[in-house]
Amino acid sequence: MSTSPVAVCEDPEVLAGPWLLAGAVDGPGLGAHLARYGETPDTDLDDLLAAVDATGLRGRGGAAFPFATKLRAAAGGSGRPVVVVNLSEGEPASSKDSALARTSPHLVLDGAVATARALGARQVHVVLPGDRPLTTAAVDAAAAERRDRRVRLVRHVAAPRFVAGQSRAVLELMAGRPNLPVTAWTPEAVAGHRSRPTLLSNAETWGHVGRLLHSGPPRGLGTDDEPGTTLLTVRGPDTVTVREVEYGAPMRSVLPAEGESAVLLGGFHGTWATVQDARELRVSVTGLREAGYALGAGLVMAVTECPVRWTQRVVAYLAAQSAGRCGPCLNGLPALATAVSALDDGEGTRRVSDLATLVEGRGACAHPDGTVRLVRSLFASYADEVDRHGAGHCAWARPHVVRRLRSVAS
Amino acid sequence: MSRALRVDWPACKARGLCAELLPEVVTLDEWGYPIVDREVDDELLGLARDAVRMCPRLALRLVDG
Repeated sequence: MSTSPVAVCEDPEVLAGPWLLAGAVDGPGLGAHLARYGETPDTDLDDLLAAVDATGLRGRGGAAFPFATKLRAAAGGSGRPVVVVNLSEGEPASSKDSALARTSPHLVLDGAVATARALGARQVHVVLPGDRPLTTAAVDAAAAERRDRRVRLVRHVAAPRFVAGQSRAVLELMAGRPNLPVTAWTPEAVAGHRSRPTLLSNAETWGHVGRLLHSGPPRGLGTDDEPGTTLLTVRGPDTVTVREVEYGAPMRSVLPAEGESAVLLGGFHGTWATVQDARELRVSVTGLREAGYALGAGLVMAVTECPVRWTQRVVAYLAAQSAGRCGPCLNGLPALATAVSALDDGEGTRRVSDLATLVEGRGACAHPDGTVRLVRSLFASYADEVDRHGAGHCAWARPHVVRRLRSVAS
Repeated sequence: MSRALRVDWPACKARGLCAELLPEVVTLDEWGYPIVDREVDDELLGLARDAVRMCPRLALRLVDG
């Protein structure tokens, strides 16, 4: 089975930030949290909706879905709603949700618990990452410090697998079934856990809700269209840093200082950019989308290996991470991995493109679509390099690059 | 109103009956799984309902398009 080209990092360098990570220097305890923020103000549903509408808060798990839309659907559904904090962070390269949970767990829980109260929900389900023991311990410790008579925290541990954090897979886990995606016939905000309206968001999203309730909108941060900040996991060849940046910040201020690197934006389901193009971009969900890139779950990676070779490794890994339940993914991703590998033999460009079309949109979750996005972006940003591989060459194997990397390593 | 045929992918096991009953809408990929490449218009609605009812895996649904 193919393993991930990068290992999970639970202990990244975490830089203090202007908003969510402002309390990162205080330590994770409830005392420090209360000293900085105080008790969470009680909020009713109308005030909460007005606040999230005004800030245009979008989900930070990768899909960037408007939080207010989900909240409205959950509030208008039939049955007592359920709130879910998704901390599974199935993308191995991402560390930002676990970093937030390890430094400011109470901000995340404040957002979820206050929303649960506003919705009349009695349970907040917290889904912990099975392959990140330090994060799990930090959230357990934070939960043990809290008392709430109206809202109960219910703990789950996700499987250590790429697709385990997908929302329907999380609902399956909560129902006691295998932690794998199933077909969603209705949005979970309408009918999710036990057919109740289920408001499921990732940890960073809940952190933003928490900070919003404590402090009001993030004035002076971000742009008019995208107020506030976002967490990023920034990975260089030997470094992992979690930092908070304002929307609209130049990508060049974020990129690790690696001259000869390819830039992967948005992680394994994301998009390649050349370093020249990446330097001209800004940190923006909509801006990157319009330019043909993806911010995904906030990953920015400088990859000093050949992007063709790296894509081959990532697609092989993603094919192995398929839950194996949906035919087009079960059969199509291994075929795609084989076709991407065959690019080195001067074959397969047509086959890659046919398989990408065949796989896309045909599965219970976004795994095939995300894999196709990565492969297509290789052709969009590194078509020359793909051609070079077909002719038996690789520009990234030049001796001076190899030498430079050795000197960095030593 | 047009309707769309949707596949419950984890349930589908490539039995292929849908493509036999409704070739106008469903073709099969190289592994035998359905490719739904157009919506179901009114004259095909009856056949589409047959395909939904007769799928041995109950893996098809008609939804509003």
